[in-house]
Amino acid sequence: MVAVLALAAYAVATGMQRVAQQRDAVSHLVTLTQQDRTYANESHLEDPGSAAYYGFHLTFEPLSNLAFAALGRRDDLPWQHRIRALALEGQIYESDTGHPELAIAGRLDYAFLVAVLLPLFIILSLFDLEASERRHARRELLIVTSPTGRRLFGLRAAVRGAFLFAAVTAPLLVGAWLSRTDLGSLATAIAVTAFSVAVWVLLARLVTRTGADAATSAMLLVGIWLLTVIVIPQAGKLVIERSVAVPQGAEILLTQREAVNDAWDLPKAATMEPFVAQHPEWRDHVSMSKPFEWKWYYAFQQVGDQIAEPLALDLQSGREARDRRMGWLALLSPSLMVERVLTRSAGTDMRQHLRYLSCVRDFHGRLRRFFYPYLFETQAFGSDSLEQLPLYAPCGSG
Amino acid sequence: MSRAIVLRVAREEWRYWRRSRLALVTLGVGLLIILIAIATTAVRVQTEHGARHDMQALAEARFLEQPARHPHRMVHYGHYVFREPPPLAVIDPGVDAVTGTVMFLEGHRQNSATFSPFFATALAGEFANLTPALVYQLLAPLLLIVVGFSSLAREREAGTDRLLYATSLSPLQLWGGKALALTGLCGLLMVPLLLAGTYAVATGESGGATAALLGGYALYLLIWALIVVGVSAWSSRSAAALLGLLVAWIVLGVLAPGVVASLAERQAPTQGKLRTDLEVARTLRDEGDGHNASDPAFASLRAGLLSQYNVDKIEDLPVNFRGVVAEFAEARLTDILNRFAEQRLELERRQSDAATSLSLLSPRLAMSAYSLRMANTDLAQLHQFLRSAEDNRFAFVQGLNKLHATDMSYVDDINRSANAESERRTRLNAENWRLLESFDAPLPDAAQRMDRAWPALLMMLLWAAVGGGLGCYGALRSAARVNA
Repeated sequence: MVAVLALAAYAVATGMQRVAQQRDAVSHLVTLTQQDRTYANESHLEDPGSAAYYGFHLTFEPLSNLAFAALGRRDDLPWQHRIRALALEGQIYESDTGHPELAIAGRLDYAFLVAVLLPLFIILSLFDLEASERRHARRELLIVTSPTGRRLFGLRAAVRGAFLFAAVTAPLLVGAWLSRTDLGSLATAIAVTAFSVAVWVLLARLVTRTGADAATSAMLLVGIWLLTVIVIPQAGKLVIERSVAVPQGAEILLTQREAVNDAWDLPKAATMEPFVAQHPEWRDHVSMSKPFEWKWYYAFQQVGDQIAEPLALDLQSGREARDRRMGWLALLSPSLMVERVLTRSAGTDMRQHLRYLSCVRDFHGRLRRFFYPYLFETQAFGSDSLEQLPLYAPCGSG
Repeated sequence: MSRAIVLRVAREEWRYWRRSRLALVTLGVGLLIILIAIATTAVRVQTEHGARHDMQALAEARFLEQPARHPHRMVHYGHYVFREPPPLAVIDPGVDAVTGTVMFLEGHRQNSATFSPFFATALAGEFANLTPALVYQLLAPLLLIVVGFSSLAREREAGTDRLLYATSLSPLQLWGGKALALTGLCGLLMVPLLLAGTYAVATGESGGATAALLGGYALYLLIWALIVVGVSAWSSRSAAALLGLLVAWIVLGVLAPGVVASLAERQAPTQGKLRTDLEVARTLRDEGDGHNASDPAFASLRAGLLSQYNVDKIEDLPVNFRGVVAEFAEARLTDILNRFAEQRLELERRQSDAATSLSLLSPRLAMSAYSLRMANTDLAQLHQFLRSAEDNRFAFVQGLNKLHATDMSYVDDINRSANAESERRTRLNAENWRLLESFDAPLPDAAQRMDRAWPALLMMLLWAAVGGGLGCYGALRSAARVNA
């Protein structure tokens, strides 16, 4: 019990520390990016093309106030980018994630504790509950003398479960109070913890009341743990990945690059036609007098994205579909269910990652639309133009 | 004589297992999971390997088939390199699962490796990947526990150890026999891994490294066999032995990696690539832009060239000043990029070292560190890939810049945006793109890997000694009690 309390406290404390670290790192990056862009803007005031080329923006997904409990996919999926107005498909897949050896080691956060370790502690504290009394030939005596009769062992198990639940959630409450977690997320986290405890206490009772000896019960329970924590999610993942195909990442990159680079050697119309098909408002401004003009350069950047778009959309819908199907699979695995619910309410799951990516796409679109009037010369580019430059703001969840 | 007795004890233990349904079922299920893990990982790694290998060939072909154009266009056309999983990834894919597989190489920038093999997978629990490494490091010990927890405790519980000691059997012989019995099981468990190792050797892995990796796993299983018999020797009841062993398995196997990861992170923090990129950008503000030959930062380069060729104007130089500037600026920029990149890699290496030194806390951690290093799927391998990619990038970019300097006139080069005839003359023949070297990240040999892996091996030997000592001492102690 004390060990569980200590572990939960450790998990919550390191989770909070990591959150604080990542927040510090992001705010430092925001400052550095700001300085970098101020310099770039000052040195490229003469033309909008260079200003767009050298002006980088930091996009990032902020941490929610429950993130300390479940860091989820933040270890392996990128959640911050440096973006500029060039073709987005060449930028959005860059990834700046943490140390890979530590990422595969896994993290001891609250989600791991509740999904993976807590069931094991419940098994440990319950597998010998009834068998030990039977071994000492006290079981019948206890049942006869107890006012609760046959329900005695069920009650004992429930009490132990309740203690474990309290030991795990107490540090969570402290962490939530310190992190100003909203009540809805906190309630979800507590409910899912209760769910995990209830499922495993119930399973432990189902196995131990059959009268099996302690060793057999323990092994059966650990077998169920293996099945639900490792085997079912893995087998499900394999099946889901076979049934929902996604395009290869490299395919998107190469498609986009070929499109952007081919444009240099193609007649200008080959770029401008598909461009104005998407942006008819510039139809009357696409004629060129020199072999190189910035508006053409940015037009073929956009056309590169347009050509890669079907693949990018396939990728996004494939990732969504896989995630949805994994949600159904979680019905078979309490531990997967716990992790999904926790990472979802902490905003560290695949859905939130995809939301972040579409937030970056929106911002990139705004950046483009900001520069187009200057590039297509319907608006004069002056020293004060960049004051209106769009700035990235996280989109939030929902 | 004494050896025969030990063997006899072991044989009796094996006979006991054959009669135990629990042991047989566990063994059957365990072997099935091992085989599934080996088969699925081998298929996945081979598919990945094939796909990345083909993409690499495609990327090289695409570069070579580019038409005649200005060499600086090829600098920005760039090239893709793919990180192929090494052959032993069929046993331990290691960091492959969470690191990018493809990297874009271009002038003036060092990009990150993108698209890890898991970038599109849904969250599948904490054990994201059922690999032979995970199965052997985490599940095989559990199997040994189930089969062996009662080995000595059972005899004590039933009082049969007294009878045995009353015959000519010594406590150490009894312990030896039980340990031998479990070691035999370890041998059986090693058979599938041996097959996977043979497969890796057949697909080009060094025999020495494979043997060292398999030897490490055999040692690791032996450690757990010794721990199991050791805890059993100290327990007066089977149920107590099981409880103790399950606690040990949870703490050493499931809990330790997460704790050590967070400790290492705190002990040796790293710096992200974005942070490094921004710091590079800050340093570069004084360095000049390689696109703009009239940038003041290049004034001395220009003065030097003019006096070297004894001319007054850059138009009169026998080389294209723009190309010279591009080459000069790229070299200087790369120095800075590499300096910052090496600092970042050094921080990552230190974090890795911090985690490895903490691996003493658990045999699973020591084994995992050893396995990653011998399989060549560790951080060092990733860094090797990054450095090889950078060498490849620098070579083709500078090759193109050299062409830019020598194969066209400065006047044509500055007029190409405005004059179609100049533009045509600055397009270089496609033959020139053959300067691209085909990408190949070298595979370190067994000795080089052992150079990184030996501390983990030493830790495992220490654990084996602890497990053996625990058992010997436990057996002697309980025998002394029996005799007292």
